[in-house]
Amino acid sequence: MDYKAIVVGGGHAGIEASLAIARLGFPTMLVTQNLDVIGKLSCNPAIGGLAKGNIVREVDALGGEMGKLIDASMLQFRILNKSRGPAVQAPRAQADRFLYQKLAKETVESQKNLHVYQDTVVDLILDHEKGLCRGIVTERGRRITSEVVVLTTGTFMEARIFIGEYRQSSGRLGEPAAIGLGTAMRAHGYRLGRLKTGTPARVKKSSIDFSRMEEQSGDNPMLPFSFSNEEIHRADHSCYITYTNDETHNIINENMGSSPLYSGEIVGAGPRYCPSIEDKVVRFPTRNRHQIFVEPEGADSEEMYLNGISSSLPEEVQYRFLKTLPGLENVEIMRPGYAVEYDFVDPTQLLPTLESKMHKGLYIAGQTNGTSGYEEAACQGLMAGINGALSLQGKEPLILTRDEAYTGVLIDDLVTLGTNEPYRMFTSRAEYRLSLRHDDCDMRLFPKSRYAGLLSGKAMELFEKKRNSLEEIKELLQSRRIKKADVENAPPSVAGHVGDSLFKAVKDPEVTIEELAEIEPALKRYKSQWVKHAELDVKYEGYIAKQEKQVARFKKMENVKIPADFDYDAIEGISTESREKLKKIRPLSVGQASRISGVRNPDIAVLLVLMGKENNVSAE
Amino acid sequence: MTMKDFKYDPDDLIAALATPWAESALAVIRTSGPDCIEAASRVFHPSDKLKNAAGNTIVYGYISDGDVKLDEVTAALYRAPRSYTGQESVEFFIHGSLPGITKILELLFRSGFREASPGEFTFRAFLNRKMDLTRAEAVQEIISAKSNQAQSLALNRLSGSIENSINRIKSDVTDLLASVEIQLDYPEDEAEMPDVEAGETDPIVDKIDRLLSTYRAGRIYQEGVRVVLAGKTNAGKSSLFNLFLKEDRSIVSDIHGTTRDYLESWISIGGIPVRLFDTAGLRDADHPIEVEGIRRSNEIIDNAHVILYVADAREGITADLEAFMEAYKEDRRCLYVWNKIDKAVSSAPADFIKVSALTAEGFSDLEDAIKSVVFRDHYVPGNEPVIDSMRQKKLLEEARDALGRYSQALLDGMPMDMAAVDLTDALNALGEITGEVTSVDVLERMFSNFCVGK
Ligand SMILES: Cc1cc2nc3c(=O)[nH]c(=O)nc-3n(C[C@H](O)[C@H](O)[C@H](O)COP(=O)(O)OP(=O)(O)OC[C@H]3O[C@@H](n4cnc5c(N)ncnc54)[C@H](O)[C@@H]3O)c2cc1C
Ligand SMILES: Nc1nc2c(ncn2[C@@H]2O[C@H](COP(=O)(O)OP(=O)(O)OP(=O)(O)O)[C@@H](O)[C@H]2O)c(=O)[nH]1
Ligand SMILES: [Mg+2]
Repeated sequence: MDYKAIVVGGGHAGIEASLAIARLGFPTMLVTQNLDVIGKLSCNPAIGGLAKGNIVREVDALGGEMGKLIDASMLQFRILNKSRGPAVQAPRAQADRFLYQKLAKETVESQKNLHVYQDTVVDLILDHEKGLCRGIVTERGRRITSEVVVLTTGTFMEARIFIGEYRQSSGRLGEPAAIGLGTAMRAHGYRLGRLKTGTPARVKKSSIDFSRMEEQSGDNPMLPFSFSNEEIHRADHSCYITYTNDETHNIINENMGSSPLYSGEIVGAGPRYCPSIEDKVVRFPTRNRHQIFVEPEGADSEEMYLNGISSSLPEEVQYRFLKTLPGLENVEIMRPGYAVEYDFVDPTQLLPTLESKMHKGLYIAGQTNGTSGYEEAACQGLMAGINGALSLQGKEPLILTRDEAYTGVLIDDLVTLGTNEPYRMFTSRAEYRLSLRHDDCDMRLFPKSRYAGLLSGKAMELFEKKRNSLEEIKELLQSRRIKKADVENAPPSVAGHVGDSLFKAVKDPEVTIEELAEIEPALKRYKSQWVKHAELDVKYEGYIAKQEKQVARFKKMENVKIPADFDYDAIEGISTESREKLKKIRPLSVGQASRISGVRNPDIAVLLVLMGKENNVSAE
Repeated sequence: MTMKDFKYDPDDLIAALATPWAESALAVIRTSGPDCIEAASRVFHPSDKLKNAAGNTIVYGYISDGDVKLDEVTAALYRAPRSYTGQESVEFFIHGSLPGITKILELLFRSGFREASPGEFTFRAFLNRKMDLTRAEAVQEIISAKSNQAQSLALNRLSGSIENSINRIKSDVTDLLASVEIQLDYPEDEAEMPDVEAGETDPIVDKIDRLLSTYRAGRIYQEGVRVVLAGKTNAGKSSLFNLFLKEDRSIVSDIHGTTRDYLESWISIGGIPVRLFDTAGLRDADHPIEVEGIRRSNEIIDNAHVILYVADAREGITADLEAFMEAYKEDRRCLYVWNKIDKAVSSAPADFIKVSALTAEGFSDLEDAIKSVVFRDHYVPGNEPVIDSMRQKKLLEEARDALGRYSQALLDGMPMDMAAVDLTDALNALGEITGEVTSVDVLERMFSNFCVGK
């Protein structure tokens, strides 16, 4: 074997996968089409957002890189959804995408055990008889062998981009598609499909009249994504808001015929949660304006990103409708918007480790599995990397469950249900989202992180410190009572709690812990984010406890394992439909089986009986 | 938020009727689960007797709903692991009248038990016991229980119209949840933000309440409208009973107190299934058998949907009649029958239905009067759906309560992510009736109802 592991693709999934395996001590090759675009933010120059920000922090807690990269390259930081509740708040940052990419490349280049190499993979070396993956074949004809291969091809496999009439075999504008691998995978018996996504134009900063737009600045101070970073000191860069209008929509409507989206030429499904401006105009004809964000692509760049107006109309039409937006009257397009269509692999062909069911040693991660988004790609890359390394170590795999992490929800959804549009994470996909807060990723994932073995000693120390502090804070809240003298200058909501413990007072939705810190200054000794963390734990205890009951129920079913070689044909009495589905998905647990669409409750009961007493379903 | 929930959790308290769903002398309700005895004793009188009884014993007492005694029963009590399921279990041997069974099951479902899924007792038995049951047997049991339930489901399957109306309610809740989720899944500036207010659940709750109010009507169609012939001895109740049946079923004589025990029979009045009861005439009796007969008459009167109080027109207005009318003056179930008009001595009081059991004169007026009471109190006009199973009723109530909690949470200033938990509960309860709603459905609704995405 030439390497222990080969990672194909230097995008967000490939970076995490290759770093994880190399860091765990295995000689690894990262092979990608072009070394100059490692870690490129293909679309939006931003990391995080609702649910996605939680994923970034999960990746960080498990020892991944994304949080550190964005901490070192952010131009603006905001906590979103502050008013909607703790479970759905999340950090989001504008990135200097040139800096992000530079740091990503430097990180993989300087990683011990990691050989970064430029070539395009056109085939895999597969042993069909033994069901093994043995390495890769490249465009330049090299056969490179390894025990583990992680495939992260992003939007590049057999990809085509569209701008009006223009077609190009590319994965991103100006970057050739990876041709051959998709066809080879099909020939090897994999089910592949087509998906599409799009991106808006990048325009020149100095051609924009910002005085006609609303300015939006970020939170001060910026907060780090990474649990190992204490604070961030960088200058805040503003974004700007403008709106489309009737004239914009008229131009788009008149030219709909020349959109490849509506000419039937693109067969792949696009993301409904992030529609192109053409889609918005068609689907919401009564709306007379759509909000557009103008975001910086880099601190030293003239390029600005127009968030909310992705389009694949002809460039000349893009010009015409952009000029109708206030502030963009004299806009200069630097790169046009476009749509891209690419091959993805039906992820139900994978195990929850992201390893192929057909070929041991082959892992697939990122957009190749039908997801979209940097964060979704990164967490899969990390999990594929960790599991590849664990299998090289001969250890049990690491599978995150739906109650532990958005990453667990994402992978479980993919391998159990598959997808027919680019899959993006939403908080509503997680049934136990109250337990998946972003500030708490380190606390809930720590045992897993330790098992994965990627965390630094410093990170472990910090974890211990935070855990102890949270306990101390809660003890303090329990033991300290509010006295009359305490509330002389306090707001009425606090004054009403004389005689109560701080613990009880903090449960009141109208009382904040900052107000209580005025009464008990000892609270100020702790890091403010940790105090906030403790507050949320206490304030929503009731709801969280309720959810924990559901989690306990859920866990019981997850813990009933189904052997990998289980023979579904030998079971009597389950419906044919259930049997076919079970055979296709081959769930690892009865819990996973129960989530397969179309498998019914009595069939699950039969499975449970067959998996039997030794699995200890009952609490007894 | 896939809202799929596995229904065989062995730590739940479960209950089910173990005997067929039919009128019979005796019925058995089986319950099982951790702390089952404690839970069962809460609906049992004397409660302590059951709670403290040793395993494998029989306890005699009443099932009682608060202070109201529902039935006189014996309870067989099993302590873990010496029971069929290996968990604590109580089996109630109760009287086998359908309304009685229904009441007791309803009480159990309100008291922490849920309806057992097919084969669930066997399923637990298998998991908990080390002997007796083989794996194959256990599977076989579940399969056959499944097909039994399928049969009974086919019998009381969801009628199309009820499915539609529950789906409409579900759709309303899904819309509401989508408008909440859009705010949770997109920051303000990435999607249009609908207003979300506490009161929005009101119209949905109204719809659920309307559907719930059809529950009694639904049951009546399955179990028959209970119509009782009551009145003084010799008033002609048995004669009328025979006239309804068009056969001489009940003994008729001019001896007061001829009918000693009640009789019942199924008849149809204008297409409505009716269970007609002839009862022992009401009077101050001293013979113990007659006293018992009159006690039963009163019990049947209490449980009836329509009471036909038969008065003897030959006797005119008597003190007994006046006393009865006074006692039941608020009771809309009563119809007064002025019988023996062929021999009447005085004219009928207003609102009395004038009939002769002898000549059948006025009989069709009597039938019409019964129909109008049934229609007024129990009938649901046109194609409006009725719910007819306890399970549907319970789940609708759960949904309604969860919607209430959601609105209350908003009023209390709880953040939306917490309040959404209750909306999800409501949707889950509705989903259990007509098929689950998954997060994919909710996302679907978000994308189609709101313009989203930067
Ligand atoms: C036009 C466009 C629009 C997008 N729109 C959105 C959006 O609206 N919302 C959103 O969340 N995300 C969007 N993204 C997606 C986002 O860029 C990806 O989700 C993310 O980059 C995926 O990461 P990845 O690691 O899976 O793949 P990528 O970042 O695509 O990286 C894949 C890498 O692998 C290399 N590679 C591929 N095949 C081979 C091969 N055979 N041999 C060697 N190297 C190979 C490629 O050169 C590339 O460097 C968009 C991307 C594009 C291109
Ligand atoms: N003339 C006449 N006699 C009737 C009529 N209805 C009943 N009778 C007679 O009244 C007597 C009592 O009738 P039953 O039907 O036995 O009366 P009951 O109410 O069942 O009496 P108990 O069973 O004793 O409570 C019998 O002799 C009947 O023949 C009627 O409409 N006209
Ligand atoms: Mg009689």
